[in-house]
Amino acid sequence: MNKSVVFNLGKLRLSGNQAVARGALEAGVRLATGYPGAPISDLQGSLEQVAGNLPRVSPFTLRAGETLDNANYRLTAHWGTTTNEDNAFALALGAVICKGDFKSREFLTEDEWNLVYGDTVFAEDEEKRVPVGSRVMCSFKHLGGNTAADAIRVAVNVVPYTGGLGIASGDDRQGTASQTMQDNKVLFSSHFRIPTFELHSPLTAHQTVKNCYRLFEELGTPFAVIMNYDLSYREVSVDLSMEVDLGANMRQKAFTRDPKHLVTIGPHIRPRENKFHSKLIPLFRKKIGEYFDFLGNKVQQYGENPRTLLLLNGPFREDFQLVKHDQTLKDRLLKKFGGLLAVETTVVFPQPESLYKKLLKKFSIEKISVFEEGYGRVIYLQLLDLVNRHGLDARVFDCGIPYEPRIYERFSYIDHILKKE
Amino acid sequence: MATAPNLPFQAQDEITYMRPVSNCAGCGDTKVSWSVLEGMRRFNRAKELKGKNRYEVIYAADRGCGNLQGYHSYRIVDAIFCMGSGVIVGEGLKESCSEKQVVITASGDGGYNFNMSGFKFAAKNKKSGAITIVYNNYNIRMTGGQIPLEVDFDKEGAALGFEVIHLNPYHVDDNAELFKELISRYLNKDKIMVVADGVCVVDMAKDSKGVGLNLGRFVKSDECVDLKFQQEKERISQEEPEKLKDLPRFKCRLCGIGLRCHALLNNDPNLCFGCGACKQFPCPVGALSFEGPSFADSTKIPELLTMYRV
Repeated sequence: MNKSVVFNLGKLRLSGNQAVARGALEAGVRLATGYPGAPISDLQGSLEQVAGNLPRVSPFTLRAGETLDNANYRLTAHWGTTTNEDNAFALALGAVICKGDFKSREFLTEDEWNLVYGDTVFAEDEEKRVPVGSRVMCSFKHLGGNTAADAIRVAVNVVPYTGGLGIASGDDRQGTASQTMQDNKVLFSSHFRIPTFELHSPLTAHQTVKNCYRLFEELGTPFAVIMNYDLSYREVSVDLSMEVDLGANMRQKAFTRDPKHLVTIGPHIRPRENKFHSKLIPLFRKKIGEYFDFLGNKVQQYGENPRTLLLLNGPFREDFQLVKHDQTLKDRLLKKFGGLLAVETTVVFPQPESLYKKLLKKFSIEKISVFEEGYGRVIYLQLLDLVNRHGLDARVFDCGIPYEPRIYERFSYIDHILKKE
Repeated sequence: MATAPNLPFQAQDEITYMRPVSNCAGCGDTKVSWSVLEGMRRFNRAKELKGKNRYEVIYAADRGCGNLQGYHSYRIVDAIFCMGSGVIVGEGLKESCSEKQVVITASGDGGYNFNMSGFKFAAKNKKSGAITIVYNNYNIRMTGGQIPLEVDFDKEGAALGFEVIHLNPYHVDDNAELFKELISRYLNKDKIMVVADGVCVVDMAKDSKGVGLNLGRFVKSDECVDLKFQQEKERISQEEPEKLKDLPRFKCRLCGIGLRCHALLNNDPNLCFGCGACKQFPCPVGALSFEGPSFADSTKIPELLTMYRV
């Protein structure tokens, strides 16, 4: 059932946390689990308010809550009652593996469907529909990723039953309210190896979250969206128009038995693990390339004969918007780099290799400068690997910063991009 | 520009083999699995529910031999994820399964200690009922006989918010009736912790021997359909051997298959641990019985000693 309804809720201020909550609600999420902790508490707190577990106190939850109540939107939220992130994630895992309904394919070809679902109990479906159930959001701060690591790693072994599960991680890379300044891009992309995105703005975060649900539910994999400390709390003014997927919210509930996927013992997980790494990750990579724009990414040329490719992620991408409205900054940009291609991307993993190969070849790119926040240098290392593995004639530069600066450091992302080398 | 190396590597699916867990004939965990399934069958029969109207068990389990047996031997287990997650995964399943699906979770006492907060969540979650089975094994053979934390389930389970019910795993018929009843209570959103008592049967049998208690053995009467059939087969093999190839391997074996008992399957009393589960197994012709002391009398050796005055 495809039933999207648009609700206009008027002007209000929305934080990064609330923007992700908005995206989850627009995707029709039926269960929200999580464990609180700065900077992400307000995401799950907002969903708790919309679910009616807490008094609705923010303009966003007041308006969205009332509107969704009237639309008979179904939302259950468990925040804190799960007592830790591991339980929150395992609860989400139990809910998402129930596939009691089907949807038509939007993104997969028949062959791709065979690859993803061909060894499940749904393999005999003649129309090759996508088995679906509740969409689920699980959120925690960066440290929560460590606590939940056991359950998240198992989730990879039950792909494609984990399609429809979104993880939101709030990274306190400033160490403002945590004992570590962890870069969770490493955890989700290098360890769990699930599609990972770093959000950059409360204005667009909802669209990325919603479209991730659409794409990765079909691909049968969980995905992670990460925000830094600043984005989690930063508020912007929006004219809130929510396009809610009520069809996804009202899907039929049922558990379908498939012990070869859902009983994670050696003989069952070994072929899955092999398939995940050798076949499914390349498929995710390909699909992210095909739906690069759909996932909220863009490539823009500045100046003539670009020879440099700037890869702008997270807060660097956000500050780069200033270039579009300030001729002085644009002049500085062209003076420093000459003609360039700016890839504004939320994608952390897996990087769309074919897209980059195409751009590098078409424009004879000589230099790739990667701007990302976090010590993991996850995007830089993937680009470096791409260039080395394919013997491409370009050099890759790590231009990121290891931690999120605090306010008193007076750090400017755009200045960092434009500063003299 | 350098050319890309031509890499011949292409990952192949690994050929893997099933590694069935060989639970001992007298393993109490297998008996609980039978009782759960039988309890659901009896529940549907009592309510006269057929076809799509029937309820079904969804079984979310923890790791460990107590639950691997459930998967390998009974195909009862629907989901096993990481250590200690059975009960909380079960709560997730309840969020998205149909109203006709009853989620039962099973953990060992190790899983209980590992994820007590998950149990607490199950007890406090007002949306649904809970049946959580805990295999109170004290000693897990397959994982090396580690020394576990002792648990007072009566106090702890009640403190978490459960009604605690202890069962002797070898009272298979009583237990099936119990689970039938508990499924009704689950639908009324009651919170039940079922503690299956008993140490690993290998240890219990060893301890019994150590104190001079000779456990009894199962007895099959002449009415046993399978025994009769085996005798008939012997006769045919001598008198009409050409017909032998058309005969099935066995006729009944309900007890051996039901209880996953090698002793009953092979009709070999030497393999019998003396668990006594066959005392209550509902043999269709009433041919199965047990003679002598057994763990069906008690899973505690001192009590058995008193009962049988050794």
